[in-house]
Amino acid sequence: MTVLPARTDLLQGTLDVLILKTLALSPMHGWGISQRIQQLSREVLQVNQGSLYPALYRLEAKGWIRSEWGNSENNRRARFYELTRSGRRQLAEETESWERFAAAVGHVLQASAP
Amino acid sequence: MIRRLAVLGRSLLRRNAVEREMDEEMRFHLEMEIRKLEERGLDPDTARTKALRDFGGVDKHKEEGREIRGLARFEAVSQDVRYALRGLRRNPGYAAAALATLALGIGANVAVFSVVHGVFLQSLPYGGGERLVHLRQVAPGIGIDNAPFSPKEVSDYAAQTRTLTGVAEYHSMWFILLRDPEPERVQTGVVSANFFDLVGVKPLLGRTFLPGEDAPGSEPALVLSYDYWQRSHGGDPKIVGRTFKMNDRMHVVIGVLPPMPAYPDENDIYMPTSACPFRGSAAMSNDRTMRMVSLFGRMKPGVTLDAVQTDLATIAGRLARQYPEAYPPKEARFTAQAVPLRRELTEHARPTFLVLLATVGLVLLLACANVANLTLARQLRRQREMALRTALGAGRGRLARQMLTESVVLSLSGGLLGVLLAKGTLGLLVSFAARFTPRASEIRIDTPVLLFALGISIATGIVFGLIPSFPQRRNLVGALQEGGERSGAGVGRHRLRSALIVVQVAISFMLLIGAGLMLRSLWKLQQINLGFKTERVLTTRLDLNFSKYRDLESRRAFQIRLLERLAGQPGVVSAAIAGTFPLNDGGPQSGQFEIEGSPVSNADMRPQADFQNVSTDYFQTIRIPLLRGRGLAPSDRADTPYVCVINQTMALHLWSSQDPIGRRITVDRGEHWIQIVGVVGDVRQYGLDRRPPDQIYLAQAQFPPLSSTLLVRSAADPLSLSRVVRDAVHGIDSEQAVDRFRTLEQVHANALASPRLTFILLGIFALLALLVTSAGIAGVVAFTVGERTSEFGIRLALGANPREVVALVLRQAMTPVVIGLALGFAGAHLLASAMSRLLFEVNATDPPTFLAMSAVLAAVAAAASFLPARRITGLDPMIALRSA
Repeated sequence: MTVLPARTDLLQGTLDVLILKTLALSPMHGWGISQRIQQLSREVLQVNQGSLYPALYRLEAKGWIRSEWGNSENNRRARFYELTRSGRRQLAEETESWERFAAAVGHVLQASAP
Repeated sequence: MIRRLAVLGRSLLRRNAVEREMDEEMRFHLEMEIRKLEERGLDPDTARTKALRDFGGVDKHKEEGREIRGLARFEAVSQDVRYALRGLRRNPGYAAAALATLALGIGANVAVFSVVHGVFLQSLPYGGGERLVHLRQVAPGIGIDNAPFSPKEVSDYAAQTRTLTGVAEYHSMWFILLRDPEPERVQTGVVSANFFDLVGVKPLLGRTFLPGEDAPGSEPALVLSYDYWQRSHGGDPKIVGRTFKMNDRMHVVIGVLPPMPAYPDENDIYMPTSACPFRGSAAMSNDRTMRMVSLFGRMKPGVTLDAVQTDLATIAGRLARQYPEAYPPKEARFTAQAVPLRRELTEHARPTFLVLLATVGLVLLLACANVANLTLARQLRRQREMALRTALGAGRGRLARQMLTESVVLSLSGGLLGVLLAKGTLGLLVSFAARFTPRASEIRIDTPVLLFALGISIATGIVFGLIPSFPQRRNLVGALQEGGERSGAGVGRHRLRSALIVVQVAISFMLLIGAGLMLRSLWKLQQINLGFKTERVLTTRLDLNFSKYRDLESRRAFQIRLLERLAGQPGVVSAAIAGTFPLNDGGPQSGQFEIEGSPVSNADMRPQADFQNVSTDYFQTIRIPLLRGRGLAPSDRADTPYVCVINQTMALHLWSSQDPIGRRITVDRGEHWIQIVGVVGDVRQYGLDRRPPDQIYLAQAQFPPLSSTLLVRSAADPLSLSRVVRDAVHGIDSEQAVDRFRTLEQVHANALASPRLTFILLGIFALLALLVTSAGIAGVVAFTVGERTSEFGIRLALGANPREVVALVLRQAMTPVVIGLALGFAGAHLLASAMSRLLFEVNATDPPTFLAMSAVLAAVAAAASFLPARRITGLDPMIALRSA
């Protein structure tokens, strides 16, 4: 049994919200999600593919996304993920808290000595 | 939570499909990645290598996927289960001993629970049965606790009750139903037309009685019980509409009942009150004191039992004021009461099955202690395996889970065997329960019982699986060292094993006391002087057809001819006709009388006795001794003065030191006088444990009974005479039914059967407990001896006397036994006081039983410890030292 090191929690949470956001745009298969995140982040964020699928299964188990087999753009069978209603709610919450967090960090970093 | 369960469920159901999907998804990902890299200009091989490297271990991702989908836990459990099964197969001795103990412990509980569930817990098999009550009239002041009702009273209660939706009347009689090839005696429930609607029974075929079908002059109709329909008519589906002649009238079958408890009686058929020649007679209907029917009621919704009691008491009081001549005086504290039907159906079974439930509970505890002990011994031998696994990184929780899985696997297998055992013995248990309750036919191993079995199996596994893990050893190094299994590190476990022996001894002692008290009670019951001799007497029922033998003369003629015919038959020593005989179900009629010269003013203060009518040879046939005066003689005829014989109890009770011979009594206020001509010995009329009341024997020739029994003393096997008896009866009247042939010895054995079966059950449990406990003690001693071989070797080498070493081991072994006995003493007192209702003339603290059982247990425990300890005397010090 693998025990994940504690610090992946933060990354994991970040990855989760990124996946949810990506899927909010359109349903997509796993590989597509990884490419889309990379592309949207202007190649800054490389999704560790090894953590992508566990994250997807976890989100599915939580009921935020659901999956369905379909045909990919090159006509291969692929599993497509899409956002559920509760996933959409979760995305809104996480986005808001992320923005608050980012703003807070920004304030701290911009602070200058009085 | 539910969604997670659904995901897990789906994963488990489609385990392979899930695996395949994960495979396919990851393969798709890799292919896309490789294509992307190729499009960027990498050659296929490089692209493939880079993609695989970036992706990481496919299996690792899959494992994570599995874990998220809950599969991992399942896999771990199934791995544990496989491991447990392998371990048990490797250890067949341990597995067999544990399985046998668990199967017995769980099986006994499942069997007894099936009775408890079938009889006490599940709802009554009547529609809305919880609201049904049985009514009775009582007069505690004069010792009447269950008087029936007269037809007049039935209509009064029906009209006046405010708390019952209605009342239905019932009584049971034997009638003769004429059919081929032989007339049949049928037990007949005589009921008001609303009876089946009131108790909530719907017919299986046809219909039950319609309102008004019990009105005088109605067409006689019959409803058959399910058992009778199956037994005597082969379940004929076209039975409805058939007619049978009974009591000189044609009766038409209108319906068949579903299976239901043999309550109030084991009736074959039911007829409305109008069809019963007794109940229908004018004398019955008009006399308020002709109390012969039972009354049932259904409580209105929302009405409490207390309200019903108040309501009935009000009606009873009103009737007593209105018709003072028909009711006892104030001092008798006459009233009417309701008893819930559930209580009436089950109260006799309660004490016995509570004791049995306690017993099997103890047996299960003992089984747990025993298996925990076996498991501990096994774990002591497995210390190195466990230490090794810990050293290799297995967590304590993981190891504990492994242990628990093993014990639950064991207990579930034991439970399965136990259910099979319970199924196999259910028939015996049902016939045992049928001695106490009419609900026995409802006992079966159904879903609730199986759920109970599953529950106690798992609970048992957890209990005996957790006990051994209490003293966890932490000294890994010591355990891994050579000889570590014998190092003194397992002290905690040894203490635990001693504690388990204490528990086993205590429980065994309690069970032994239970069985011992039952045995003492049974022995006392067998020692009772019955007052008559049971050897070589054939009994049979002989109920004359009321319609045919209406007058005394025709009955007398039939009975005298029958006795004359039988007297001449070879093998017949003597024959007698009697209303009933001792220990027969349904005792004699009880009635009041007056003694000449001692008039009483108040009707209810008249003396009371049991009356029964017997022929001349009755006392001789069953060997009731004549104590004074003379017995009944052929010269006592219808045209000579009436005579009677009384029992000793009555002679002492009413005349004490004076001579009762020559005194006269009357039952009809002096219209006829009956002279006492003799005194005979007492007999146990109503049961082994009940002293007889005052009894009066009337002469059959002067008062020929309608429903009677025939008793024949034979020279050889009494049952061989049944053909002779049958032919003699049919030779006089071919339409006369004669049945229920039993020997008096069978009747006696039947009276002893309930306590004997209870003793056998408790005895089996106690013996098993003793066996299991002695095996446990021997196991612990053997282990100790084996473990301390080197120490004993040193002692012997230094010159210790082998006997002293054995004595040392024995002393240590007997310490938990003595503590267990002390605890068992306390526990046994509790069990014994719960048993007191099952015991006859045996005190729950009976010192001989307690002494004898302590001695038995101590002796068995000493023997069990001595056998393995004896090995020490044969120990060669040198070999013992080297083997260390």
